[in-house]
Amino acid sequence: MKLDPSFIWTAFVGLLPAIPTTLILTLVSVTCGFVIGTGTALARMYRIPVLAQIASGYVTFIRGTPMLVHLLLIYFSLPLLIDALSAQFDLGWNSAKVPMIAFAFVSFSITAGAYMSEVVRSGLMAIDRGQMEAALSVGMTVPQAIRRIVFPQAVAAALPNLTNSVIGMLHGSTLAFTVSVVDLNAKAQIVASTNWKYFEAYLAAAIIFWGLTIAIERIAAAIERRISLYSRGGVA
Amino acid sequence: MEYGFDITYIFDFIPKLLQVLHLTLAIVAGAIGIGLIVGLLAALPRLYKVPVLQRLSQVYTSFFRGTPILIQLFLFYYGLPELLKLVYIDVTKLPVLFFVIVTFGLNAGATISEIIRAAVTAVDRGQVEAAYSVGMSGYQAFARIVLPQAIAIAVPVFANLVIAMLKETSLAFALGVMELTGKAQTLGTLTRHFMETYIALAIIYLAVSFTLERILLLFERKLQRHMRRDAADAERRWRLWRGRKPMRERSPEVSGKEVPRYEA
Amino acid sequence: MIRLSGIRKSFGRQEVLKGIDLHVGKGEVVAILGPSGSGKTTLLRCINYLEKPGEGEIRIGDQALDARRAGKKDVHALRRRSAMVFQQYNLFSHKTALENVMEGLVVVKKMSKDEARKRGIALLEKVGLGAKLDAYPSRLSGGQQQRVGIARALALEPEVILFDEPTSALDPELVGEVLAVIRRIAKEGITMIIVTHEMGFAQDVANRVVFMDEGVIVEEGPPAQLFGNPKEERTRQFLKRLTPEASYTI
Repeated sequence: MKLDPSFIWTAFVGLLPAIPTTLILTLVSVTCGFVIGTGTALARMYRIPVLAQIASGYVTFIRGTPMLVHLLLIYFSLPLLIDALSAQFDLGWNSAKVPMIAFAFVSFSITAGAYMSEVVRSGLMAIDRGQMEAALSVGMTVPQAIRRIVFPQAVAAALPNLTNSVIGMLHGSTLAFTVSVVDLNAKAQIVASTNWKYFEAYLAAAIIFWGLTIAIERIAAAIERRISLYSRGGVA
Repeated sequence: MEYGFDITYIFDFIPKLLQVLHLTLAIVAGAIGIGLIVGLLAALPRLYKVPVLQRLSQVYTSFFRGTPILIQLFLFYYGLPELLKLVYIDVTKLPVLFFVIVTFGLNAGATISEIIRAAVTAVDRGQVEAAYSVGMSGYQAFARIVLPQAIAIAVPVFANLVIAMLKETSLAFALGVMELTGKAQTLGTLTRHFMETYIALAIIYLAVSFTLERILLLFERKLQRHMRRDAADAERRWRLWRGRKPMRERSPEVSGKEVPRYEA
Repeated sequence: MIRLSGIRKSFGRQEVLKGIDLHVGKGEVVAILGPSGSGKTTLLRCINYLEKPGEGEIRIGDQALDARRAGKKDVHALRRRSAMVFQQYNLFSHKTALENVMEGLVVVKKMSKDEARKRGIALLEKVGLGAKLDAYPSRLSGGQQQRVGIARALALEPEVILFDEPTSALDPELVGEVLAVIRRIAKEGITMIIVTHEMGFAQDVANRVVFMDEGVIVEEGPPAQLFGNPKEERTRQFLKRLTPEASYTI
């Protein structure tokens, strides 16, 4: 077996059709994760009884176990749950009809939710109490203060962590191959095994992921420049 | 699924899985060991702005932080023997574990170099000036003043990395390594009780990361004792530490912005 | 004995020091005054080589150094003859008060730890901190930190101690304790150069006062003369601005 540089290009082209799957996995997990994370963070910050305890148990569990384990647990437990519900209420559902990618969506969103809750929490905690008071003191209403003062600052504070989470989920989406979803990683395996050129295929996949990561970082940097003009040139 | 859920299997599986815990821990320890050496080597050219090396180190960190570790594992497993063959080194007979530890080590090194860079930058410039003013050389100032303070600043982020590494070792199963996750999959296939195996697996990961977190918190306390404002505060934190389980926060000195850690 | 000749320093296009000549005799206490941006702190930092002068010669004792041909060894040798007390104290934050004083002795002067400890304890007692030997800087007040800074400088027995606005970061009620310590060691015949804003203190403790403005030495002389009867208009303006209440009396 010898290195075949031209196959890197062939593999690269062969991998392109799998990019949308990877991006959709990332997008869905980040979006749903953000919603779950916001709810979790608020439940913990406002110490809502019961919910707060469940929320912190959830975060501790998810952050203490690998994402792969979450996926495997969901993959094996969700069908049981669906079939049980279906039998109980005679819904006529069948877990076999659920597309594989749905398991990845659910599991990745649950994973992302726990990490996102920390992102949201640190963003909200970064805002100085005085900012709200100052906004009210110049005559803004509470919604105005939140929209014009608090929210932009929270986003600016949370953006670096948010970017990390997005990139983390992009990279984590490679786990989808364990439930037979053909993302970039699974596609690389397919392309490689048909030609027995593993190194070249994975190199092509690595380059695509590298490019996507850098693109996400660039976009985040551009957004950050726009929204955090105020903090430029500080000592912190 | 004719095999019903049976909780006793969980207790049955835990000791079986624990038999391979040492493999998982060996990967973590090996990776962190390699990562510390590589990370320091990669951080130095960027801290001292050494022309070409600085650029190389940048590409290295960018690549290992910009690609999924799973891809890196495959890339090294299939690619390293090819590359080394070019310089007449035969590694095809080495165990898979070797490739796994090297890959995780290089991956950790990229993050560690960023941690070191951020922590060193976070040390107040006045500290170096004071070191010079008492007559220290550049090396003495770095080794005796900057580095110890940087290490203290970096421990919390480093602790996060260790925990993240522990979780990422689960990916080694993809190359057929029989660590915790690999073993769990075998057990699952063997008994058809997947749910129970994975619950047992989750419990073990949870316990190990909890324990590691505690140990690292002890280090943090020891290394950061000079940062505490007063004894009463220290005492309160100590009680908090023993009584409750605090979720680890990033240290304020090194924000997530400077040392991002991609979790998976 | 310290002699500075033709010290020039620029930051980018801005020339901060425009050829400074200054001589400080053994045991002399010199206070440097001037408005902010006059270059006085930069001058002090050049003596300790924390700023690299563009050109000029620095001589401390028999160690001379030409800024244009200074090697690492020369810089090191020069630095070992002076010590600095910083505006922000700059105590080593991971070391206790005593370790801060010992650090230079053990690492640079290669003194044994026992000996360094003895000297450190004696010096900290001298600055009134005998009870704080094992405290970390984060647990000391600003005034206490600065006194440790002074002890750290004294420990090295340098030919000159450079004070860079030693009290300007302190709360007003803590200024006194630091000035008292400096006053005491001034009486012991240690050569000192002090950049300060404390006029009364400068008048009291200095043998000679140097007034700097816009990168040059405008005027120098004994405190009585410089404060009581300044020759230069710029000096007069500066002193007048510092004591505005006098000019507004009705």
